[in-house]
Amino acid sequence: MRILTLACSLAALIAASPLSAQTLNVASAGDQNMVDYVKDYLAPMFEKAHPGVKVVSVGTGPGDSGSQKIYEKLDAQKGANATDFDVVVIHQKAAGQMVKEGLLNKYTGNVDTAKLVSSETAKNSLGADVAGYVIPMFQSQTALAYNADMLKNPPNNFAELAEWVKKNPKQFGYNGIKGGMSGVAFVAGWVYAFGGDADKLIQGPYDAAEKAKWDKAFAALKDFNRNVVITPGNAGTLDMLNRGEIAMGPVWVDMFYSWQADGKLPPNMKLKLAAPGMPGQPMYYAVPEKSAQKKLAEEFIALATSPQVQADGIVKKFNWYPGIDAKNLEGKLDKAAWDKLFTDITPADLSKNAKPFPIAPYFNDILEGYEKKVAN
Amino acid sequence: MSLSQRQLALLLIAPGLALVAALFLYPLFFSLVSAFTGPDGGFSLQSFGKAWELYSGDVVFTVVIVLASCFFTGLAAIVIAGTLTLGENRWIVGTLKALYRWPLFIPFIVAAQCMRTFLAKNGLMNNSFVSLGLIEPLQAVSFLDWRGIIATFVWKQTPFVALLLAGALAAIDRATLEAGRNLGASRIRVLIELALPQVMPTLLVALVLSFVTMLSVLSVPMMVAGSQPTMLTVDMAFRINAYGDYATANALGVITYLISAGAAIIYLRRGMAQEGAR
Repeated sequence: MRILTLACSLAALIAASPLSAQTLNVASAGDQNMVDYVKDYLAPMFEKAHPGVKVVSVGTGPGDSGSQKIYEKLDAQKGANATDFDVVVIHQKAAGQMVKEGLLNKYTGNVDTAKLVSSETAKNSLGADVAGYVIPMFQSQTALAYNADMLKNPPNNFAELAEWVKKNPKQFGYNGIKGGMSGVAFVAGWVYAFGGDADKLIQGPYDAAEKAKWDKAFAALKDFNRNVVITPGNAGTLDMLNRGEIAMGPVWVDMFYSWQADGKLPPNMKLKLAAPGMPGQPMYYAVPEKSAQKKLAEEFIALATSPQVQADGIVKKFNWYPGIDAKNLEGKLDKAAWDKLFTDITPADLSKNAKPFPIAPYFNDILEGYEKKVAN
Repeated sequence: MSLSQRQLALLLIAPGLALVAALFLYPLFFSLVSAFTGPDGGFSLQSFGKAWELYSGDVVFTVVIVLASCFFTGLAAIVIAGTLTLGENRWIVGTLKALYRWPLFIPFIVAAQCMRTFLAKNGLMNNSFVSLGLIEPLQAVSFLDWRGIIATFVWKQTPFVALLLAGALAAIDRATLEAGRNLGASRIRVLIELALPQVMPTLLVALVLSFVTMLSVLSVPMMVAGSQPTMLTVDMAFRINAYGDYATANALGVITYLISAGAAIIYLRRGMAQEGAR
């Protein structure tokens, strides 16, 4: 008994004593490259500037499902004193929901770098008002990657693409909608192209009757799917492009450049943003309402959105478009690194054909319509 | 106070029962309730309607894949166990004995990752065939679809079935087999007509266990094949991850329960028949 008492009091002592080392838990939804970015690039820099602080980076998986896991964790810990996460990196769909349910802290007023962001996505996330709750970490974009040795003139729009696929069966591959966002983006692009009014899907307001207009687009997509390869995931598409098994497929621009820089894609691969365009999205930095380390979290995000880090880490190292306004990066980046981002897709292409994803209710309708009318 | 025999027995199984109740029965009950609950909170079959509307193809796909995998697993296991029991070349039997269990120790997810590069159109397998001159590069096809899933399952489950089967084969009375051999039956005939019928119950049990295992694997269909069509585990994960829609995911879970219940019934019947024979 005495030993037990002793052990208990010892345990209480340990639990009560202030820990000299602080831990900042950063949870990132997204592909492995995003987890690596926090773990290998941001964390060491932050730890150096804040002695005694340890940054723990966890990944929750690619696509919206990664954000869903973060949402479920925060939702489950709503009643607790503190959440396990101090900084979360989330997708647009989840951000809107988390703000609505009060799971996020309105923190951007405390972070100076928030003033460097003027883009629409920092305020509006798929139709939800998120102003004050998020700062974009980066902006990314999907596009069609193709092997320039196998086809000289890539299709300029979705109609030409459908035509090309008919003539070249099994040379186009994408990952459906269950294997990551590049496939989802392609499907959204398809609905923008053939499903009527793209602007309405992007800007809202939501009208439940709208989805009835997509039947023809889905029927055409089902037909289109007969001549394509369904790949296992974002990386699966790149793998197959790399092995020369397909000649074209939708990819994330950042992953494309990173893989190419690593020698995992042949140098003759190029990108094309076909009209009327494909979606891109930002990832957001946010702080959970119940974070125990709000101040530290804000400092972390301030570092992550500072012009120098955005230039070196986001643009140069990981090939994303910056989250803060591009003009703030002037002088921080050599011209070659900047130009590399725009080799195949020019700023003019981007302004014309880079679209956001549809607002959340349309987004869900598109996914479910795809499952119902195309996949099954 | 002394406990009676009966009370003691109950006390002994209590921890086990509590575990089953907490970790299996409670979640099972919970997911059943969720599957049969409509959006308004009342009883409803709406989730099942949705599950069927969206995933009927995948239900069929799952059953076909798992049954086919069981069939090929059984076939491969019979060949391996038969060779181990009746093989006469010591070198072949020794090598096989040393090698066949290895996949048992490799997790499904690792197997799936290996298959991704092995079975691809320009992957290791096809490239080897091409360099051996067996096929032309243009003839190479990708096996990263339903065939890849079956190949991975069979590769992974064969050692398990073969292990049980070889044990059962080693335990049967060799006199019957030798009598068959002495009367001039070939080894294949001895295996099929004399040995296998005696170990059928073991083979069946091993296959039923494999069936249930394969039904529950998420990593292999997710990593090896594209998502259309795919297995129910992937659909469940997607339902939860993309929509947070637990009702439909649970309805798919109930459908999976029903499929595996079919296998469980065979398993239990076997057990009863054996009990009855004793």
